[in-house]
Amino acid sequence: MSTTTLTHVQSRAALPAGLTVAATEIGGAALLGAFLLAEATPMVLALLALMGGLFAALQLRPLIEEEILRAFHEARGLATVLAVTIVLIYPFFLGGNTYALHLLIVSLLYSVLALALNFQLGSANIPNFATGATYGIGAYTSALLAIHLGWSFWATLPAAAIVATVFGFLLGIPSMRTRDSYLALVTIAFGIVIHQMLNNLSWTGGPNGLVGIPAPSLLGHSFMQPIELFGFRLPSQANFYYLSAALLGLAILSAKRLHESRVGLAWNAIRADELAAKCQGINVVWYKILAFGVDAFLAAFAGTIYAFYISYISPDNFTFLVSVTIMTMVIVGGMDNTLGVILGAFLLTMLPEKLRVFSDYRLLFVSVVVILFLILRPKGLFPQRQRHYGGQ
Amino acid sequence: MESLILQHLLNWLVLGSIYTLVAIGFSLLFGLLNVIHFSHGDVSMIAPFAALGSLQVLFGLAGSSVGILPILAALAIAVLVTGLVGIGADRLVISRFRNSPAMMALVATVALGTVVRELIRGFYPQGSNPKSFPAIVQGFAEFGGLRLPALPVLIVVSTVAIVVLMYLLMQKSPIGMRIRAVAEDGATARLMGITPARIFAFTFFLASAVGALGALFFASYAGVVRFDFGVQLGLIGFSAAVIGGLGSMGGAILGALAIAGIETIVQANMADGASYRLVFAFALVILMLCIRPSGLLGKPVFEKV
Amino acid sequence: MTAPLLQLSGLGIRFGGIVALDGVDLTVAPSTITCIIGPNGAGKSTLFNLITGIYRPTSGTVALQGEDITGLPAHRIATRGIARTFQSSRLFEDLSILDNVIIGMHGRTRTGVLTALLRPKASRRELGACAKQAETILRGISDELHARRYEPAGILPQADRRRLEIARALASRPRLILLDEPSSGMDDRDTAALMADIRRVMADNPGLSFLIIEHDMRLVAELPDSVVVIDYGRKIAEGAFAEVRRLPRVQQAYLGQKAVEHA
Repeated sequence: MSTTTLTHVQSRAALPAGLTVAATEIGGAALLGAFLLAEATPMVLALLALMGGLFAALQLRPLIEEEILRAFHEARGLATVLAVTIVLIYPFFLGGNTYALHLLIVSLLYSVLALALNFQLGSANIPNFATGATYGIGAYTSALLAIHLGWSFWATLPAAAIVATVFGFLLGIPSMRTRDSYLALVTIAFGIVIHQMLNNLSWTGGPNGLVGIPAPSLLGHSFMQPIELFGFRLPSQANFYYLSAALLGLAILSAKRLHESRVGLAWNAIRADELAAKCQGINVVWYKILAFGVDAFLAAFAGTIYAFYISYISPDNFTFLVSVTIMTMVIVGGMDNTLGVILGAFLLTMLPEKLRVFSDYRLLFVSVVVILFLILRPKGLFPQRQRHYGGQ
Repeated sequence: MESLILQHLLNWLVLGSIYTLVAIGFSLLFGLLNVIHFSHGDVSMIAPFAALGSLQVLFGLAGSSVGILPILAALAIAVLVTGLVGIGADRLVISRFRNSPAMMALVATVALGTVVRELIRGFYPQGSNPKSFPAIVQGFAEFGGLRLPALPVLIVVSTVAIVVLMYLLMQKSPIGMRIRAVAEDGATARLMGITPARIFAFTFFLASAVGALGALFFASYAGVVRFDFGVQLGLIGFSAAVIGGLGSMGGAILGALAIAGIETIVQANMADGASYRLVFAFALVILMLCIRPSGLLGKPVFEKV
Repeated sequence: MTAPLLQLSGLGIRFGGIVALDGVDLTVAPSTITCIIGPNGAGKSTLFNLITGIYRPTSGTVALQGEDITGLPAHRIATRGIARTFQSSRLFEDLSILDNVIIGMHGRTRTGVLTALLRPKASRRELGACAKQAETILRGISDELHARRYEPAGILPQADRRRLEIARALASRPRLILLDEPSSGMDDRDTAALMADIRRVMADNPGLSFLIIEHDMRLVAELPDSVVVIDYGRKIAEGAFAEVRRLPRVQQAYLGQKAVEHA
């Protein structure tokens, strides 16, 4: 068996890296597109089976994964340019299907949230059940600024991020003295307090929330308007699609840079052994608080875009269950593996929507999947990979 | 005025009792396994549904004219069923995480809680609607000229009795000693001929059965039950256990009374206190954990190096 | 005269009512090896935990090169130049062997979140340089560890785990290294190699001192400049091993049961 694998790989290795990269990216995009547009349940199930098959192939033949990764490393430039191009032209292939576009936007925003939480849960193993709350703080801050003070979307974006980061740091302070289950409870309590406040205060609109958040505009182009380009016409959602995609790009870049720095290593050290980390000179408390801040910062961006996209927010968008869902995405996808986390976010956003036939049992299904994952594959679909230095 | 204070006092004790019954389970399981059984509230909340279901069957069999007997039988069935579900939850899910990081078990039990809720919602007849739940006893009780509603008195008195029984069970009985032995050192306990698996099963049964009583009292006191009531009850029970110090039964009681106290005070003194009671209860939780991370009666942990 | 490298005066701690360590005085000069021996539970590891800031002493002081570091948080003490290993080795199991060593350099590198995000080149350059140094350290300790540097540390056998812990301790360029039972789980050949490693490291790093908790009497007899005996939380003897082992109170406390058969 090993010899056949070897020859197989050698023949693959003969493939130019560029081709492997192009095939992987275009194939992935096509698969996602098919899944987004699939409506009939058998089609959805067939596509899921195909994904499962591909994943099984990667599991049984780890060399394929190595080969793909090597190709991406070799043809980095091409991979980036192609990925950006695919993201740019993607809406044109959805044939004006606004529901598919909506699903895509929500998936992108959840990817950002999951990446935000990953800094804590994945990198440093800090339980945070309050990502939903910081997401909500971001959304409410920008919505209130826009409605009451007439701030533009672009001005609220950094403002919301700053406010949420302050809350993030505050939430991080108890981590000086508490950890594990106790810290988990602090974050849960924080989430409930925020949710209940939003629900009860009059200036946040109480349970009815805030309505009439004005659409953003850029260079005179309102995001309410469809995009018209080269005779093509994209529905108005496309505006928010590009916005969310840009945000995810930013999140991926941040995740990559932090992961490949001294900061990411320190977080990983804390995850593995807090006490040993201290003895290497790592200021554990500061790095934990920092993780809370970074999480809140990114989550607030996602919250702001969500608020302006839907133009209506209520406390129920930011409950404890939302936090748990985000947590689940990180765990299913793979702790501290950017691609895995994004995949987890896409899967867990789209699966419940695509399995409408079982609509009554969706939550049940997802929860069972989570438990099975934790038991059978505790490191997620794609576990963290070891860092390599100096272009290896 | 006096009767109002009395009413608040009684309300505090009833809430405190209910929270105590749920919190004890958290504490017991944490003491034994070092695991947070986050679905404990949801598992406990199975009891009122089991009771309602068996009541219907029992009354169907015996006719509705029968008195207290079917109610008692239904309660007993509910407690038993919930206890067994507790064992099942351990066997199927929680036991798989004995050697995993605490976070894994925590998230798994959060998901398990959702499974339990969704099973009730999806498979209990009209499971998503609130169900009215009968008061276990009605009328009033007289205590030396003091006329008190019977149900709250029953709840408080039974809770005291249960707590005393639990204490005796844990401290004086052979099974209690075995539980403590396993909690102290599983490997040594095994050498002494104790089967940890059986001890785990028993403890899960015990914790869930006591939680079931809490949930039954809760439903009976509120007069209504819904599939998702277990979330909040579980969160409050967990908070009570943590405030008191996980692993300590006395702490669980103190924590429960503290949270119930805050809720009662807020409700009694604020215009829209009912809607803010959770804010204050959980703000207390955060504050407590910042000041005394190991809880009121918990022992501070020195990490072995 | 210059201040000693490490000076403990009257160091003690009680947990609840129990006195775990009481009034320990100890002086470590630069470029020396000191072994701490004593029966199990005598308080040896507790002493290490007090020096490295994991526990806060209830009495006494710790001074490093004349500066008082008593009660500083562990990470500050590590940055000041005290590195350590643990009795049951505590590696970052799921990280690569190389990363374990690089993390040891945390205290003397600077990149923060903003640098990492806004100046990725500087951040990568710093970590790249760390990786180079870490490879050198690993190669110095063991060629095999170096060859396996991208494998997770968790899969290493006991002796290699100890070596990696020492490599990680070296990475911080400490002035003092505390080794907690470095030879446990090692056979005779491994122990000999360990001693050679320690001597070589000392030769390469002038001024560096070792404080070692040890049970292996062969090592205790050969390696250290002086030996400190601790029993029931108190220092009961100090001096050259050949002299210390002859003291009746030491034999009673410790050698009586164990090392007489070695001798």
